[in-house]
Amino acid sequence: MYEVRFHGRGGQGAVMAAQTLAEAAVNEGNYAVAFPFFGAERRGAPVLAFTRIDSKKIFSKTQVYNPDCAVVLDDSLLDTIDVVSGLKPEGIAVINSKERPEDIDLGKIIDTATVDAISIALEILKAPITNTAILGAFAKATGVVKIESLEESIKRKFGEKLGEKTGERNALAARTAYEKTIIGKSRGIKKLEARKQWLPTYQEMPVGGSLIEGKTNAGLIGPGSFIENKVSGWATYRPLRDREKCVMCLLCWFYCPEGTIHRISNKGDLMTNYDYCKGCGVCANECPVDAIKMVRARV
Amino acid sequence: MITIKELPDENLFTAGHTACPGCGVAMSIRNAIRVLGKDTAVYVPASCGVVFGTTFPYGAWKVPFFHTAFENTGACLTGMQAAFEKKGKKVTVAGFAGDGGTYDIGLQSMSGAAERNDDVLYICLDNEAYMNTGIQRSGGTPFGAWTTTTPVGKHIQGNRRFKKNLGDIVVAHEIPYYATLSIGQPLDFIRKVEKAKNIRGFRFLHMFTPCIPGWKMDPARTVEVTKRAVESGMWTLYEVENGEKRITYKPGKMKSVKDYLMMQGRFRHMSEEDINTLQMWVCKKWNLHYKEKGSPDVCEIAPPDEHHAVTEEHREMHGP
Repeated sequence: MYEVRFHGRGGQGAVMAAQTLAEAAVNEGNYAVAFPFFGAERRGAPVLAFTRIDSKKIFSKTQVYNPDCAVVLDDSLLDTIDVVSGLKPEGIAVINSKERPEDIDLGKIIDTATVDAISIALEILKAPITNTAILGAFAKATGVVKIESLEESIKRKFGEKLGEKTGERNALAARTAYEKTIIGKSRGIKKLEARKQWLPTYQEMPVGGSLIEGKTNAGLIGPGSFIENKVSGWATYRPLRDREKCVMCLLCWFYCPEGTIHRISNKGDLMTNYDYCKGCGVCANECPVDAIKMVRARV
Repeated sequence: MITIKELPDENLFTAGHTACPGCGVAMSIRNAIRVLGKDTAVYVPASCGVVFGTTFPYGAWKVPFFHTAFENTGACLTGMQAAFEKKGKKVTVAGFAGDGGTYDIGLQSMSGAAERNDDVLYICLDNEAYMNTGIQRSGGTPFGAWTTTTPVGKHIQGNRRFKKNLGDIVVAHEIPYYATLSIGQPLDFIRKVEKAKNIRGFRFLHMFTPCIPGWKMDPARTVEVTKRAVESGMWTLYEVENGEKRITYKPGKMKSVKDYLMMQGRFRHMSEEDINTLQMWVCKKWNLHYKEKGSPDVCEIAPPDEHHAVTEEHREMHGP
């Protein structure tokens, strides 16, 4: 059995990628299953999807804990999640990144394939949706499915949902990525520590189930503790403000849904905290003097 | 009256919450609580607001927060208010319910609280469908809109019913204050929230809050779309104080509803015939709200105008 785990962000199409891969495998005469894992995620939050491929019927229904291949649709996930956790020693990681495999630190030395899927997606699809491009890289790196059968199932699956033209463009994105994929070995220097989680038992909870403001070993909890949750990885773009042009109308400060823009009252200036910016672009769109520009967040 | 510059610095709804980029609900919540201030207790029923604002053990609210079930926002607000009164505390009790939790599921509870004229502030965040559970149609979904329960098929395309007139239902309870708000009109927004804060009795604020995945639109245009909704007459800004209605913002000339519809993927399938049907509905609404007494019904539509855009690269990301 060949098991694949997809790491992506809501909206990038990890679920569609898993399903398309399964379909391509079925078309080649194999058995395959695909399913996602998600909780209360919004757009941009980390999500998981899985595919199992086998020549026999598949009865396993669990999540994939020991994948043969880990596919990463967004390289910003590498900083926060151990994407290769449980990966088999002979397994391979397929990563959407501008860098070469030997420049990528996964915490252990393993076979790694990289492709700049986001640039391919922006060029061909005009949107940072990397699922089809990364599938092309997967085909090249693993050879589990042929690129031809992938193209076929992409055309069918995406064409059905989004129109024939979009289907063909997505197939082209997969083919382009297939040709541009670089295979090598990753570096293994960094140590990823498991994030501490605060999971109280019911005895620890105050009566009535309310959660009071507090600090634990795992960080802040209760009212106002969401500042522990850095969301900068969600952003494809981030705003750059031109101080010269700015007229301090404060519309960006008012409209920002995240509260990333702060007023420095005594200086009469604004400051942006990129840790919490999701790159929606509302500030740039609403600025009356066009002082804010959106630029690529990670180059 | 408070202006944007006079709003307090403090974030009572902190950063780091997990709303989608460009979320209209997050924007409205943040600014409403900014005006309401520290002495507020908040109730949120099942909705996106409770998922992205309070994910155990995190919480974005810096004010007391309470959550139980979907259908009882009105009843819970009443209970909270009674408890604070008993304790002798002066607190604004505010409930942030979605359109599903107000138009459909929570209607009876809201109606009860309005009938009793309890001293609470009810805020309806209207994003025109059940977005939290994956975009199902609600009583607030407009004509023609795609949702997962009103799909686009060969014979029937999108929602066949018109948006429920919730405003008149609420006003019929003879409450002291009802107002419609849009984040695209900041000064009007701030003034109405502040006004509602200072009135005693049951107050209802009806906020228009775009939903990026549900409306299938570019996150950068959240505010722009609310402005276009107001300009086209899809959303009207008014307040009703003790039965007296006052229009707080009247657009110059009605813009074609098409400009508003074509910004959003949920309307992109609409046929000319359906657009005309919706335009007629908008004209009727326009005349109902904006027409001066005695003058004839109008349905004149102004030509569209250009809005300044974000950078080329950013536009490329989301398509035209």
